[in-house]
Amino acid sequence: MTVRDAEAATGNPASRLLKAYPMELILLALILFLVATAPGFASLGNVLNVLRTVAMLGIIAFGMTAVIISGEIDLSVGAGVALAGCIVAWFAETLTGSLGGTAAVSIGFLVAVGVGFLLGVFTGKCRQLYRVPTFITTLALFTTLRGAANLITGGFPLSNLPSGFGFFGGGYLLGIPFPVYIFAATFLGMHFLMKFTSFGRAVYAVGGNLEAARLSGIDVWRVKNLTLGLTGVLTAISGTLIASQIGSGIGTTATGMELDVIAAVIIGGTSLMGGTGRIWGTLVGVIFLGCIANGMTLLNVSEYWQYVVRGAIILSAVLLNQLLEKVR
Amino acid sequence: MTTVAARLTDVSKDRLEFRAVSKRFGPTLALDRFSHVFEPGRVHALMGKNGSGKSTLIKILAGAIAPTSGEILIGGEDCRFQRPQDAFDAGVVTVHQELSLIPGLTIGENIFLGRLPHVRRFGLPMVDWIALNDRARDLLHEMGLDLDPRREASSLSVGQQQVVEIVKAMSTDPRILLLDEPTSALATREVKQLFGLIERLKARGVSMLYITHRLSELLEIADTCTVLRDGAHVGTVEMAETDHAGIVAMMFGAAAHATRPSRRDIRRDTPVLQVAGLRRAGHFHDISFDLHPGEVLGFAGLLGSGRTEILRAIFGADAADAGSVRLHDREVRGASPRQMCQAGLGYTPENRKEEGLVQILPTADNLCMASHDRIAPHSIVTRAAEDPYVHRQIRDLSIKCGDPENPVQSLSGGNQQKVVIGKWMNTEPSVLFFDEPSRGVDVQAKRQIFDIIWQKAAGGLAAVFISTELEEVLEVCDRILVIHDGAIVAEVDPTKTTLTELYRLCMEGPTQ
Repeated sequence: MTVRDAEAATGNPASRLLKAYPMELILLALILFLVATAPGFASLGNVLNVLRTVAMLGIIAFGMTAVIISGEIDLSVGAGVALAGCIVAWFAETLTGSLGGTAAVSIGFLVAVGVGFLLGVFTGKCRQLYRVPTFITTLALFTTLRGAANLITGGFPLSNLPSGFGFFGGGYLLGIPFPVYIFAATFLGMHFLMKFTSFGRAVYAVGGNLEAARLSGIDVWRVKNLTLGLTGVLTAISGTLIASQIGSGIGTTATGMELDVIAAVIIGGTSLMGGTGRIWGTLVGVIFLGCIANGMTLLNVSEYWQYVVRGAIILSAVLLNQLLEKVR
Repeated sequence: MTTVAARLTDVSKDRLEFRAVSKRFGPTLALDRFSHVFEPGRVHALMGKNGSGKSTLIKILAGAIAPTSGEILIGGEDCRFQRPQDAFDAGVVTVHQELSLIPGLTIGENIFLGRLPHVRRFGLPMVDWIALNDRARDLLHEMGLDLDPRREASSLSVGQQQVVEIVKAMSTDPRILLLDEPTSALATREVKQLFGLIERLKARGVSMLYITHRLSELLEIADTCTVLRDGAHVGTVEMAETDHAGIVAMMFGAAAHATRPSRRDIRRDTPVLQVAGLRRAGHFHDISFDLHPGEVLGFAGLLGSGRTEILRAIFGADAADAGSVRLHDREVRGASPRQMCQAGLGYTPENRKEEGLVQILPTADNLCMASHDRIAPHSIVTRAAEDPYVHRQIRDLSIKCGDPENPVQSLSGGNQQKVVIGKWMNTEPSVLFFDEPSRGVDVQAKRQIFDIIWQKAAGGLAAVFISTELEEVLEVCDRILVIHDGAIVAEVDPTKTTLTELYRLCMEGPTQ
């Protein structure tokens, strides 16, 4: 072991590259493997399809990365997606007659975003004022929001939406799915926020050592609350895009999505202990998950096996990170 | 074998003998050829400053660390403890300063943890609660305690928990009991109860090694006092033949005052910080003092005297119940660290690992952490903007950190402390609190840190300095306030007092 470690530390460029960019290289290998084996994986249509799916997940995952770096967690994003979609659809159905489609959807979107933000801040306030772990609050919201979404729809899809609404989730701009632009913008925005603003630096400090951050004059609760609120906003945006893509507000949308979001963040190397992680890593994580799901479908792997493989991959990624941590 | 002979072997059976025991940590000799015989059935106090080697001695005896050389004999038998369990099996039991009871379990369970009595019911081994509670009750009773063993440990006061710890230690029937500052968290009444317990144990022939910082306890409870200094055995005296002054002289030796720059006159017409009537219930009360630009004010007091809590309350880290804090002649109400930081006050906490630094972040990030308002007026931070701040502190404080992008946890203790100081220097404070800046740093780094404090004070910084090492307080400060039991009991001019006098004031307050 020690000999191998020593070799790796000083060793050839390949092993150094592997240590510095493990997930990037594994993703590359996965893509090469799928290009070679999965029929139609490399076709333009399929690539755009993967990107569209990845976009919905990734928009939330970038926010979740910040939340996890700050030392918290949000389990309610799947339900939040459903709620946001249903709110937008309800306003679109109810107000289009009187205000016209654009205004109705805009109002619905703003309400959904506002609700998302307030739910995030609410979670933070429960933590700040009553010491309720965000794990518990968001677990409660996980079922509450799902129920609320179904209450809005009454259990039936709200599909009577204005004609142009489908563009946001399903349309193309210059040949690229519209959600991919939002995804790219979110990536750049979050990368900038986390790396080049005092707010982003404070997120790392708060997650790395809450007390030291507080004693350094950082308003630690403002940082946590805003981070959670931001994720609520991104969840609402993603929820609106999904509702647009499927053409209706459905209370059971995005079931289990929170697990994929968290998995992507963890595969990307962010530590659940808080204080470390990168937006770039999460980008790799979401593309990785998207390729796995798409590749297995193309290879005709049964849905049940897909679940098993996904679980195994999440665990392997964490184990790999722990091993590399030791070697470094 | 005659009865007389039997009794003789019985007495010498528990004799604890150290033969030239040494312990080396890297280049430092923590314990230097310690040789001494601790007679059985007596209470032996161990005294010495921090870093004198007394904890090392206790840890070796408890099997927590192995000596570099030398041997330990119990009743003439050579003992080589590889791990704490070995010491425990040989009848050496330690009661640690930190409480180790499990709060959710009952007193009885805690006492017999890992050795719960079992009974067979329905063919299955089950915990015998009746026997457990009976035996626990007997033990408690034997120690003169009237506690229900079925009570949860979390419902006990700190003092009661300490006493249960000792009962737990006694339940294993030890030959030698190590007590590491058992009274540091106790109220006077609980100390009396503990001393009663120690007397009973002594009557049963148990030998005790007792570490304390409280001189006054020694005369009351100890039979002998062994003093260590810089790893060396200074001497052992019978308590009946000595007094406080004798022991203090042994502990400190000839105090070396060396490199301090000559004291400057401090203009005391416009105080930068004024504290009046500050109180935090259960921690401190009636705290009033002024701090002037260029002054280094010392807080001298024992651990737990309230000195750290006072600084934390002024800084806004904890809320005070009453009193006023004026900074630059402006009243600050309901302060938070953020507010104080912006008003030009900084605080380097006593616990740099847990409170001073974010260990996993780079040195550069830690250095800039408190001054983002300055570095990034529009909230946009780049390394280019941070670099001057990082490099100025690395240069000014001669921080040895290699690449400032490496996590700060890779730095030595002294350099980490300098990073904490550098973090505050970047905020250009007018007042800076140094809480134990010299704890756990090597001698050279300590000198450098003192030089930094003097230098910054000469440049107009007002500082409060806390150290457990009283000779450091005497050396570093221009003026000293003695804190005892949460109150300022004396103001001392370091040029006009002696170490012994300051030590006595910290221990016993102004009366006597």
